[in-house]
Order: sequence, then structure tokens, then C-alpha cells
Amino acid sequence: MTVRKLGLALGLAAAAGLGAGAAQAEPLKIGIIESLSGSQTSTGRLFATAAEYVVDQINADGGFNGEPIEVIEYDNAGGTTGAADKFKQAVADGVHIVLQGASSAIAGQVTEDVRKHNIRNPGNELMYINLGAEALALTGEKCHFYQFRFTTTAPMRVNAMVDAMKEAGDLGTKVYSINQNYSWGRDMEDAIKAAADRGDYEVVDTVLHEVNKIQDFSPFVAKIKDAGPDTVMTGNWSNDLLLLMKAAGDAGLDVRFGTTFLDQVGNIANAGDTALGHYVAHPYNIAADDSDFAENYKAATGHYPVYIEPQTVNAIRTLGEALKTVDFGGGDVSVTEIAKAMENASIETPLGPITVRKDDHQAVLPVVVSKVVKDPKYPVDGTDLGFGVVKVVPGEDAIYEAQESCEMDRPS
Amino acid sequence: MLARIVTIAAILVVLVAVPPLLDIGWQNAMTNMLIASLFAVAFNLLIGQAGLLSFGHAAFFGVGAFATLHLMVVIEDGGLAFPTPLLPLAGAAGGFVIGAFAGYFATMRSGVYFALVTLAIAELFHSLAPHWDGLFGGEAGLSSMRMPWGGLIYGSPLEVYYLALGWTVLSVFLLWAYTRTPFGRLTLALRDNEQRVRFMGYNAHSTKVIIFAVSAMFSGVAGALLAISNETANYTLFSTHVSAQVVLHTFVGGSTVFFGPVIGASVFTLFAFFVSDVTRSWLLYQGLIFVLVMLYAPHGIGGLVDAHRRHWSQLRWSELAPAYGLAALSGLALSGATIFLVETFEVLFSPEYAAARRRADGAWPPFELFGLDWQAFGILTWAVPVLLAAAGLLLLPHARRALRQAWDGVLERTEADRAGSVSPELAGAAER
Repeated sequence: MTVRKLGLALGLAAAAGLGAGAAQAEPLKIGIIESLSGSQTSTGRLFATAAEYVVDQINADGGFNGEPIEVIEYDNAGGTTGAADKFKQAVADGVHIVLQGASSAIAGQVTEDVRKHNIRNPGNELMYINLGAEALALTGEKCHFYQFRFTTTAPMRVNAMVDAMKEAGDLGTKVYSINQNYSWGRDMEDAIKAAADRGDYEVVDTVLHEVNKIQDFSPFVAKIKDAGPDTVMTGNWSNDLLLLMKAAGDAGLDVRFGTTFLDQVGNIANAGDTALGHYVAHPYNIAADDSDFAENYKAATGHYPVYIEPQTVNAIRTLGEALKTVDFGGGDVSVTEIAKAMENASIETPLGPITVRKDDHQAVLPVVVSKVVKDPKYPVDGTDLGFGVVKVVPGEDAIYEAQESCEMDRPS
Repeated sequence: MLARIVTIAAILVVLVAVPPLLDIGWQNAMTNMLIASLFAVAFNLLIGQAGLLSFGHAAFFGVGAFATLHLMVVIEDGGLAFPTPLLPLAGAAGGFVIGAFAGYFATMRSGVYFALVTLAIAELFHSLAPHWDGLFGGEAGLSSMRMPWGGLIYGSPLEVYYLALGWTVLSVFLLWAYTRTPFGRLTLALRDNEQRVRFMGYNAHSTKVIIFAVSAMFSGVAGALLAISNETANYTLFSTHVSAQVVLHTFVGGSTVFFGPVIGASVFTLFAFFVSDVTRSWLLYQGLIFVLVMLYAPHGIGGLVDAHRRHWSQLRWSELAPAYGLAALSGLALSGATIFLVETFEVLFSPEYAAARRRADGAWPPFELFGLDWQAFGILTWAVPVLLAAAGLLLLPHARRALRQAWDGVLERTEADRAGSVSPELAGAAER
């Protein structure tokens, strides 16, 4: 009853507004709900910086719907509770599109909040663009029409890494899997096992360990030594990766590491020469990009795009392409129309095309496999080390089957 | 007494009438305020009434949230027709059971050892939860959706707010009523002299277990309300941060006054709501506020309010007003200097400023703060905080003297009034 009254009141107000002959163009509002305080701040900041870089470009070209796109930053303080609070604030502020990337747990909260909001508020939907959370469940059992993921997942990284290392003759026939005991680590372990036929190797042993709690990896290194692998594959990040590689270096372990997050800012400075010759499979490497993107980015932000910044730039560029195909004629923004356009949007990058898979809204994007080398094109962390490109694996070679657990209700 | 009833009634009227006029973000902040208040009051039953300082109350808050969420999942799957507004009963039951169990071990000891046991119990949950997928849903946690019931959809934050308001008012009232029961009196006696309680023939340990379980039960209700509000729960609810936050709220609000924790929880929740998107240093300011309150008002904000209430008839505003004015001026100047410095350093050490410097080939470009442009090495940039700090420091001794004189007068008049009366009972009450 009250809802209907409110609708009537709004209708009258709108009619009065139209009567006055002043149709107000609605600006597109993007909310970045990121970890801008707490332990994940450095990563959260990078997501925000990269996203705003592209939005500034779109606005320089005239914005959208006759207005500049507005970006609002929200600090989720690195937790799901904070993210839930800020999501409600974003709804109150009239945000249309939510961006987030650091942490799969927070991504789970945001994507569920968006899904429930859309069920309860038909006609006032929100859209979520996942810039960096890689848990498979997000495009599996948690998938829905208004969520898009523009980063890789464990199978994509592992498939590309296996192809490239095999081609380079660095893979060997025995692979050891060591990962963190939570969804991402388990996704990685499954992907490493699943790619065994593809890479012609056997998985000699697998280990899952506590996340960011272990100070001394030497017992794990001893176990790895006993198994005698040629390659150690790991999805570890931050301290769990650094301490593992350092312990391996100290023990004189002669293996090659295949990693996913070796390019996180500060890792190379920390690991130093220990990192030389080891591999990383990641969504982008500016060394493979001969366009002027890296220089332009540096001119705007003061640093070369690193870690998760290029994939974020590509995600927002894809959004920009989608926006070009919809036209609200200076009226109200329909997020559903934007989401439909996102499904069909694609961009060409210097590394290959990026498209969106309609089944689960996972982006099909090229994966770069790189190796830590001396005197690269773009040295990182103020060292003389950096990432040399080994192989660029096209999106269609790295992508995996859409998960059966994804049941997407599409708006008509 | 009448004044108190009028005050509470007025606050309740505001709490009921105002939220529909606010936007969703505000409504959600108000809901969080209620949840934090209930949690702090429940926690304060232990420290304020029984003198037991728990450092692990996140355990019961989290258990309440998870119990509620499991019930929500069952309802959502159509396995049970349970009324949505009664969901917090699951949190209460979960909190009570786990609280009784944990309390049995924790209350075997008191003081620091008690605090350490509670800390350990919360940490046990915190480390166990991410690995126990069936019960806690791994690190992503559990997620569900509020189901419509009794003609209400429970879809909007406003409906959730009223649900939280109802439960918070009911729970806080029950906790207040508890303090008026003989058992509540026994709780106070435990704090004052456990030996005497034992000598009177009570079993001190089982009494403490019951108190602990009641406190955990209402903490569970608070956790349940958060689960209903966010429709998710994950293991981070068990983190030490949650346990520490409630300690902070309670002490800033004042653990010696029944409604003190409500004040602390409300102040800090609203502080986070307003300040967290304005500055990245908001946690630093929160810490500073806590330290200052502990140093200069050990009984918290509630303690200050209570002191004015008790000495109401002896207060002379002609003396107090100038003293408070001076103190406010001094405080404002010093806060201004602190905020200015912190924000300036935040800008100067930020990656954005480093990038701006690189673009300017190592020069120090001007930066924007409070809507004005400042030079990194400009005279004005550093003169502002220095002058503010100097003004504040100059006023500080005067303010403190004026405050002391004004309150000495109040206490003298109280003494005189008391000497005039012959009731030793009142004297004892005033002592406390």
C-alpha cells in the first residue's frame, strides 16, 4: 500500500517535472567498493587508480548519456561487513555499477548483495563488475546476470602456464602442488591436477597449508625435496609465496616455480635474485604490449601499470565499448540494457581480443606467461629484474568449460 | 526517575519516527548503531556488573550470527515456516549454549586469566571456521535471503531497522530488569567480594557461568541482527577486531553506567559512518579518541553525564559554562592542529602525491586540502597547525584550572548538603 502510494507520488513528481519541460539527464554513477584501509590497501588502491584512469578518458571523450560519469570511492575496510554497509550506502547514492577486486570473500558479499537487491527492486537494478576476485564459485553457484568477471581463474592461469612451460622445455614430468587451504588454493590444486594430461606430467604430491600464518616453510620445502619434482606450482600470494620461495632458495632446492602472483608489487624487491628464472601466469604483461598504453598510463598516474592494473583498465574499457552501443537519449539509465550490451561487448588489446562468455559472464581474455629475467624492458620495484614474456596464450586456448553449477536467469 | 523515563521515551520516539525520513545508508547506519549498542550492553553485564573482562565476545556474537543464518537457509529452502521477526531467537539459543559451555571453563579463573581464556575461545572459532565448510561455509561464509512473513517483505533496510529496534529495546530492557532482580544484585556482590558471596552459601562458579551465558545470549541476539541485516556471515565475525571493538565501545561509553555502552557504541558507529569515507586515517582518530577518554574521563562519556546528573542540584552554570567554554576552545584548537597535521602527512606520503612529484620532475607541487591549495614548504602550511597547537596549549592550563575550581565548588556544596542530611545510606550511594 505505502509502496504504491510512494510510486504514485513519484509518478506525479515525474509528471510535474516533465510538465516543466526539464527532463534531467541522469549521469552514470560508478561505485568502487574497495579495501582502502587495512592490510589489503595497496591492492585496493591500484584497482581504484586503474578504474578511474579509464573513466577519466571516457569523460574526456564526452562521458555518457550527455553527462560525465561519476565515480564514488567507498572504503570497505578490508572486510565483508564493511562491504555490506558500503553497498547500502552506494544504493542510497544512486550508484548503477559497482566495482570491486581485492578478496574473493568480499566479492562474494558484493555479488550476493547485488543479486538480492535486483530481486527486490526490479527496474532499479545494479551491476557488479569483478575486477580481480578469482574464486570459481563466483561464476559457478553464485553466478547471476548482473555480474561480470574480468580477470582469470585458476584453470585459465594453470592451462596457460602448462602450455608455455612445456613449450619452453621447463616443465619436466613431475609437478608438485602447494597451495593455501581456502577456496582459491583448492581451485588451484584442482586445476593443477586437471591439467596433468595437457602437460604430460604427474602430480607427485599436493599440500594445502594455513593462509598467511606460516613463518617457516622449511618443513614444506623438505617434503618437496623428498618428492623430487621438476616444477612446483603454487597459487600462493603475499608472504606465503615469498617465504616459500626464500625457504626453497635457502635449502638449495633445484626446482622451477610456476606461480600466479609473483608480479604482486614488492615481491621482486623482496625475493631478489631468488626469483630469477621462475614463472608467473598473469592476465597482462606490458612487456608484451608495444602500444603507448604503458607510457600514457605513467603520464597520468606517475607509474607504469603493474599487477592488477592492466586487467582493470581492460575491464573498464570493455564497459566503455558497451556504453557506446546503448543510448538513453539523456533520460534515465537502465542498468539491464547496459548489462545486455556488456554481454556482446569486446575489445582488441595488443595481446589479443577480450570477449564475454554469455553462459557465466566470465571474460575470455589472453593469459601471459612470463619469467623473471635480468634487465627486462620494464624493471619492477626499483630492481634490475622484471618479467620477460615467454608466451601469450590466446583467450580461447586458456578458457575452460563453463561450470554446470551456474544457473543464470536472464531478463527478457 | 521521572526525568529518566521522559528521556528514554523521547529517545524512543526519535528512534521510531526519524528513520523513514532518512536515506538507506543512514537507515543502515542506525541499524548498526542498535546492533553495536545491544552487543556492548550485553558485554557490559560481565565487566560492568560482574567485574569480568572478556576479550573474546566475538565468539558469541559470531555464533549468534551463524545460528541465525543456518535457520534462514532452512527457511529459504522451504524446509520450515518460521516467522522472520523471531529469527534472533536462534542467535539467543546459540549464544546461550556456547556461552554456558565456554563460561564453564573461563570462569574457573578471574582477572587476566579469565580474559586470556575468553580470547583463546574466540581465536579457536576464528581459526576453525574457515576450515569447517559445513558449519561456517569456508572463508566465503554462508549467505541467505530474508523471507517475507506476515505481510511484510523484509526487503528494505527500513523494515530491518524496525526489527532490530524491537529486539534491541526488548533485550536492553531485559538486561536492565536483570540488574533489578536479586540475582542481579548477586552479580554486583560477586564483583565487590567473591569471598563473601561464597560465605553466604552461594556457589560462586555456577553463578558466574549463568551470568556469562546470559551475556553471551544477548551478544548472540546482536550477532543475529547483524546476520539478518547483511544476510551473510563469515569467519571474520570471530576476529579479535570484533572483540576489541566492543571493549572500546563499552569503555568509551562508560562501563559503570548501565546506558554508558549504548553511548559509546552509538558515537563510534556514527563516527565510522561519517568519517570512514572522508579520510583514510579514521582508525587513527578513533584510537586517539579512545586514549583521550581513558586518560581524562576514565568512566567514559556515560560517566561524565552521570556525574552531572548526580550533582544536578549543586551545579552552578555561571562557573561551569566559562570553564567548559575554555576547555572546548582549547580542545578544538588542539584537534584542529592534529587533524591538519595528520591529513597533510597523509597527502604528502600518499602514492598519488609521489606520482604528482614524479610528473613534476621531483619538485613539490601544491596539494589540495579542506578545499584550499597548500604549498608543501609554504610558511602558511606549517604556520596553521603550529598556531592552532600553540593557542590550544596556551588555553589548556587555564581551562584545566577553571574546570577544577568549578568542580571543587560542586563537590564542596555536595559535602555541605550531605553534612546537613543524616542519612548514611545516601552518603554511601553518593560515594559510589
